[in-house]
Amino acid sequence: MIAAARTGRWRAYALIAPALIVIAAFFVFPLALSAILAFRATGGGFTFDHFIKAWDLYRTDLIFTVGIVALSTLVIGVVAIAIAGYLTLGEQPRAVAILRWLYRWPLFIPFIVTGQVMRTFLAKNGMLNHALIGVGVIEPLQAQSLLDWRGIVIAFVWKQVPFVTLLVAGAMASLETQHIEAARNLGARRLRVLWDIVLPQVRGTLLVGLVLSFVTMLSVLSVPMMINPNSPTMITVDIAYRISTLSDYHVANALCLMSLVVAAGAAWLYLRHAAAAQASGG
Amino acid sequence: MHVRSLLTMTAAAVVFAAAGPTGAQTTLNVVTAGDQNMVDYVNNYLGPKFEAQNPGVKVRAVGTGPGDAGSQKIYEKLSAQQKAGAATWDTDVAVVHQRGAATMVGDKLLLPYRNDIAAGKLVTRDTARNALGANVDGYVLPMFHSQIALAYNPDLVKNPPKSFAELTEWVKKNPKQFGYNGVKGGMSGVGFVMGWVEAKSGLADKLEKGPYSATDKAAIDKALAGLKDFNKDVTLTPGNAGTLDMLNRGEIAMGPVWVDMFYTWVADGKLNPKTKLLLPSPGLPGQPMYYVIPAKAANAALAKKFIDFAESPQVQADGIVKQFNWYPGIDPQHVQAKLTPAEWNKLFADVTPDELAKYGRPFPLSSYFTDIVEGYERVVLK
Repeated sequence: MIAAARTGRWRAYALIAPALIVIAAFFVFPLALSAILAFRATGGGFTFDHFIKAWDLYRTDLIFTVGIVALSTLVIGVVAIAIAGYLTLGEQPRAVAILRWLYRWPLFIPFIVTGQVMRTFLAKNGMLNHALIGVGVIEPLQAQSLLDWRGIVIAFVWKQVPFVTLLVAGAMASLETQHIEAARNLGARRLRVLWDIVLPQVRGTLLVGLVLSFVTMLSVLSVPMMINPNSPTMITVDIAYRISTLSDYHVANALCLMSLVVAAGAAWLYLRHAAAAQASGG
Repeated sequence: MHVRSLLTMTAAAVVFAAAGPTGAQTTLNVVTAGDQNMVDYVNNYLGPKFEAQNPGVKVRAVGTGPGDAGSQKIYEKLSAQQKAGAATWDTDVAVVHQRGAATMVGDKLLLPYRNDIAAGKLVTRDTARNALGANVDGYVLPMFHSQIALAYNPDLVKNPPKSFAELTEWVKKNPKQFGYNGVKGGMSGVGFVMGWVEAKSGLADKLEKGPYSATDKAAIDKALAGLKDFNKDVTLTPGNAGTLDMLNRGEIAMGPVWVDMFYTWVADGKLNPKTKLLLPSPGLPGQPMYYVIPAKAANAALAKKFIDFAESPQVQADGIVKQFNWYPGIDPQHVQAKLTPAEWNKLFADVTPDELAKYGRPFPLSSYFTDIVEGYERVVLK
């Protein structure tokens, strides 16, 4: 019996071996190489110099990156809940249909195109300001360029909201409708139904969507590069700059490891949630 | 029937196989750093002309991206093939920046070829021998020279500043009207920073000719401290094209740009044709792009022929000057003869050849270059 169980186990390992090899060769190995390079001195010894330099020069950018991505994640959460909530609880079938059709568009547009579009849309004499001046919301002299941290946040939110909405709206659609109907029958307003009945049940999905967005945005180079490559900027621009202008892989790897730590924070949240869900049988 | 059709097919296969070698094409692989216009130049202009002269040859160009990063990718590819001990390398001709060429010559990745081709004698400028202080004599031929200059809108700027000192004054009086792209958004910004340090540190000659000394960092940092102050009144733009975009939309009135990009944008209707150029004293940097041949290029002989063709006065006149608005890579006197005075003057309308000779400077030596961009991050950005 035991021998049979053992062969069964080996067979299982053999089945997942190709996947494991791919992960080891293309993810774990390069990651280890990058970590080693970040700690290696020019002579070959061990050193913290690259981290000291990275921290010294790019501290502001690291804080800026975390701030931008955290703010974007927050806004994405709010907008995604609003859209998904309306899709689930909206009472105007036509409005719901139009919204359902519209909200997914940015999903199919790459980050770099988003960056390019925003670059002309948000400029001082760009389309947004022209429109605002045209309808009389602002005076021409009040027009200002949004091509700084605000531009990056706008681009990120625009691009990632559909992704989170897709997940959250899917989760909301699969909820038992009796709860919602019961609450409505007892006179609860829609906002209250969304907040008290629907949201608690899709919290897990929302968290997963936001964590995945957080990690994705952390690694985007094209958007900050096109909207605001000047200080302060996101850490990805600094990494690209260290490599392309100075061919300095050491400091670039140190910066990569630093952003890995930030991403690991999000991953920890994700795993904790997954573990909790498994423990509760969800 | 079956046997017959089988026979026909076999015969056809044999014919095709036999036709293979005679119709076989030699592919000349050209890898170029720089913007998309470099790839377009080879694929749409140079390649077809060379193929027409050399039946059986196919020219294939691949781009590796703008700035030193593009040259760095070519360097990494050649270096990897060298370390792997490959007998032949799959790049026949590469087009690289000065820093890239200097590194490649240092690592013995290139083939000396200038004396093997006729056009080698048409090149006179110092850049054919010296790349940022490194001796590249024999290994390179400049494809073209490009120059950074200040573009300005004459409607908004009646008396443009003629020097860095006047520019500093002007920016104080006209806050946010001057824009440049820092050091992380492309070479026109980097070039402006180099020009600033050369003008304000009093080290211009030493930065360009050496010898390098680490103690100059103090003077560089002092010049950069002034730039930090200057930056308070300027607009930072997103990239080389970003500066031109903002000029065109009237968001800034002046900024450093690549001269060739400037003329191309004007020709394409992407920039107000009234916009003008000027070179402030004591100057802004420019650089050539080099044609190089990797040490173990599979088709080295053909590569030499290709470069000889690309450096011929006719191609330099029609392609480099007329189509792409670059300054010629070979001595201009050979090119001028192939152009009408109007075509020639268009290139020098705002910046005269005299000014170009006086204020068109090389980039600083590699070590100084690194000190300056790192200093910029330490002093200006923090």
